[in-house]
Amino acid sequence: MPLLKGTLDALVLKALSSTPMHAFEITRWIEDGSRGEFEIEAAALLQSLHRLEERRCLTGAWDITENNRRARYYSLTATGRARLRTETETLKQSVEALTALLEVR
Amino acid sequence: MTRPDRRSRFGRLFGLALRRPDDAGPDADAELASMMDEQVRHLIERGMDPEAARAEALRRFGTSVPQTREAVQRSAARRDRGIRLREWIDDAVVDIAVSLRSFRKSPGLAAAAVLTLALAIGANTAIFSAVEAVLLRPLPFAHPRELVALWEKNPDFGWDRADAAPANMLDWKKQAEGFADIGGYSSFGDDATLTGKEPPRLLSSRQATGNFFSLLGVRPALGRLFRDEETWRDGDARVVVLTQATWRDAFGADPAVIGTTIELDGRPTEVIGVLPKSFALPGLEVDLWYPTRWDRAFETEVWFRRAHWLRVVGRLKPGMTPERADATLQTVVARLQRDFPVTNARMGAGLTPLHEFLVGSTRLPLLVIFGGVSSLLLIACGNIANLLLVRSVGQARESAVRLALGAGRGRLLRQALTESALLAAAGGIAGIALGAAGASLLAALRPAGLLPTEDITMSWVVLGYSAAASALAAVLFGLAPASVAARRRPAEVLRAEGRGASGSRRATRWADLLLVGQVAVTIALTLGAGLLVRSYLRLSNVDPGFDSRQVLTVSLDLPGIRFDSAAKVFAFYAELERRTRALAGVESAAIVSKVPLGPPSWSSDFAIQGQPPRERAAQVVHREQTHDYQRVMRVPLRRGRLLTEADRRGAPGVVLINETMARMHFAGLDPIGQRLAFDRIPDSTTYWRTIVGVVGDERQVALGTESTPEIIAPYEQEPRSAMTLVVRTTAPPRVLAAPIRAIVADLDPMLAISSIRTMDEIRAISLGRERFLTGLLLSFAGVGLGLSLVGVYGVGSELARRRLREMGIRLAIGATPGGVRWLIVRHGLGLTTLGALLGVTAALAAAGLIRSLLYQVAPSDPVTFVVVPALVLVTAAAASWLPGHRASRTDPAQVLRQD
Repeated sequence: MPLLKGTLDALVLKALSSTPMHAFEITRWIEDGSRGEFEIEAAALLQSLHRLEERRCLTGAWDITENNRRARYYSLTATGRARLRTETETLKQSVEALTALLEVR
Repeated sequence: MTRPDRRSRFGRLFGLALRRPDDAGPDADAELASMMDEQVRHLIERGMDPEAARAEALRRFGTSVPQTREAVQRSAARRDRGIRLREWIDDAVVDIAVSLRSFRKSPGLAAAAVLTLALAIGANTAIFSAVEAVLLRPLPFAHPRELVALWEKNPDFGWDRADAAPANMLDWKKQAEGFADIGGYSSFGDDATLTGKEPPRLLSSRQATGNFFSLLGVRPALGRLFRDEETWRDGDARVVVLTQATWRDAFGADPAVIGTTIELDGRPTEVIGVLPKSFALPGLEVDLWYPTRWDRAFETEVWFRRAHWLRVVGRLKPGMTPERADATLQTVVARLQRDFPVTNARMGAGLTPLHEFLVGSTRLPLLVIFGGVSSLLLIACGNIANLLLVRSVGQARESAVRLALGAGRGRLLRQALTESALLAAAGGIAGIALGAAGASLLAALRPAGLLPTEDITMSWVVLGYSAAASALAAVLFGLAPASVAARRRPAEVLRAEGRGASGSRRATRWADLLLVGQVAVTIALTLGAGLLVRSYLRLSNVDPGFDSRQVLTVSLDLPGIRFDSAAKVFAFYAELERRTRALAGVESAAIVSKVPLGPPSWSSDFAIQGQPPRERAAQVVHREQTHDYQRVMRVPLRRGRLLTEADRRGAPGVVLINETMARMHFAGLDPIGQRLAFDRIPDSTTYWRTIVGVVGDERQVALGTESTPEIIAPYEQEPRSAMTLVVRTTAPPRVLAAPIRAIVADLDPMLAISSIRTMDEIRAISLGRERFLTGLLLSFAGVGLGLSLVGVYGVGSELARRRLREMGIRLAIGATPGGVRWLIVRHGLGLTTLGALLGVTAALAAAGLIRSLLYQVAPSDPVTFVVVPALVLVTAAAASWLPGHRASRTDPAQVLRQD
């Protein structure tokens, strides 16, 4: 199942809120967390990461993975944390509203 | 060249690395690859065989690999760009904050720098706005590049770019093939008295051929302009076109005035149109325009080809070059020389682009002023640079610490440049405001003959210039302190700390260099001003041939409709003269057709009785006067007698000639008793007049223009309606203005007086242009010199401060205070001398350019070239003596204890 439009940024921020990760770890975090419901496209994820970094929600830096390979690790900034809070709020509200609407008979 | 490339080049220009695809691309690729690797590894861990894992990973990459790659690269590039821009802005914010903090720490210095720059930029803005309005702005006509002025020349009369005769102009128009149209306007203005309103209003009018306005491409603001056929007279209906200003001032901008009949010089005249506001011919002040309305019969009359009074304007045919048009003109000129040998035998013609023709004479003076004011800006930049240098030395410790803590030299350089940019921005903005005020002041002063346009306003061009000048200034005065800041060696500075002499040798060298440059520019500027001053003094000491003190002049022009016979005109002027003479405080009075130092009078050829006609034509100017003129003006009689009351109408015709006439045309002959006529080739109708006296030369046109041959006739034998009353007074001349005005009003209440001026005022006006130019340059030079002296003082003070310890030691081991003083003065004088040498060399090379502005002063005038550098050196010595003196009074014990 593809992701709803506009929700990827929020999920990325959420993923990074506990610990810095590289792109594939974020993919795994989302796919595993949704029990495989959501499938993430690499291009979309990377673009989302770049976008968030440009907006100063994240900072990225190259580092070495557990398997001794190079990967770009992203961590959340204060701006990103604030953004995650508002995004979460907005998403929850729209899910509630959507649910209400769709359950009306 | 594609767009992104250009953008990145601009980016680099401003130090903004806006886009570096070479960084972002590989970075994005690497990230993509690492992600792929992880995916494959993960799938293999889950038990997939490697082949299938790779295929599955690829599938998860979405639609196609190249597309994905491109999208990711693009987003990475955008990210890098954004981050870099933000870093740049962050840095700028920090730099600005640091700069502002340092300005707050030394507000006096920042204020001095901003004020200096504001004044310099203000002066530059004002002058440039004049340069723009006069020299750069195209004429306000359609396709102004096609417009040329056509003129005549004649080696016999010494004519070049002279007014054309109407008949010649008409033949050019008909026959010269290079021109779409040719028309003209009268070169002299005529007074026109507007009556029917109280009080009578004197307006200045010109005549133009019927095609003149359509040739220029001018459209009326109201009504209509002239029609082609109005070149010629058709019936008695008189029409007039008003300029926008006249319509506004004399008619209250009433649109209903079109089609109404007004009274001009007592004649009913129909107002047919109003010119647009933009209409302006530089150097021409006209209130109303009449069509020429020539009689068709004139075309065949000799005078129509002999009287030269038209300024001719032509429009080139589309695609025609001035050179080719000139060739077609020369064909016609040759034909006219052949067909009309009496008038045209040696009459040539030529053309000049109209704009150049109208403003050409103001180019050099304006450029000289502009050069002066630009030099001033350079000098000001030198001063500010020195101020900042001194401060940057004072901040050596701070920047050394920053360097030691790892700040890049680039950052320090940027910090220093930010400071100068901020100063330049503040100074530039204040300067532009000052400049706008200065420009309106210039427009209000309107120095005669220098600014042939009223419309001196701020425009985008001027603003652009001022902004560019400010930016250039920022670079000029920012470079030295920035280079000092960036090259500092932290260890050295920190080691030197505590000894009070945190001397950077580099800063010293910069300061010295700046001072030399400043002095050089100052010397060159002051030399230029000095030459102009010398020339001005020469000019104002010229003996004009008359005594201008205590003389009042009152100019009048009697309208023909009420003064329709010579008898009435005579009666008016005779009564005016008689009553004026009777006024208390009047020593003598006379009536004359033209006072000296003003526009030239009418001229003609002449013949001497009993002598064969001269081969070449010649020119003499004419004047008419009542008998007392020479007594009023104190013009000496050289031979024979002056005119008397007996030389009236009906008496034998007599004339006076001036000395130049006697010298040039009566060499070795006694002119007294000779008879002459105003025609070159006399015939049976010629009227001969006897020369009864030779009078001293007067400068007829300007102080700087030699007298030309002149014939002076008794007024009653050559009547004119426009005359000037000249009065020698025992009281201050201005006092007589009111009683004479009263006499005029009593004689004819409808008469407007053209002008009332003392002869001293006329003399001053005739020097107006030179005085303005000289005064302006002199004040630039004064300010420049002042700034340079501050520079000399500053360098001396720095030297004294830096070497305080050394001075203390010297004094302690027995040096005299005089010796210590000399050390400082010698340094300042050495630099000033070097600068002076450079400045003198530059001035010698460039002074030739202003040769045509100098009156009897050589561009290499030895007096100027000795006095000015000497003055600068002496003042420079004084300026460095002050810090020297202070250094010599150092208390050695105190200085040495500091260590």
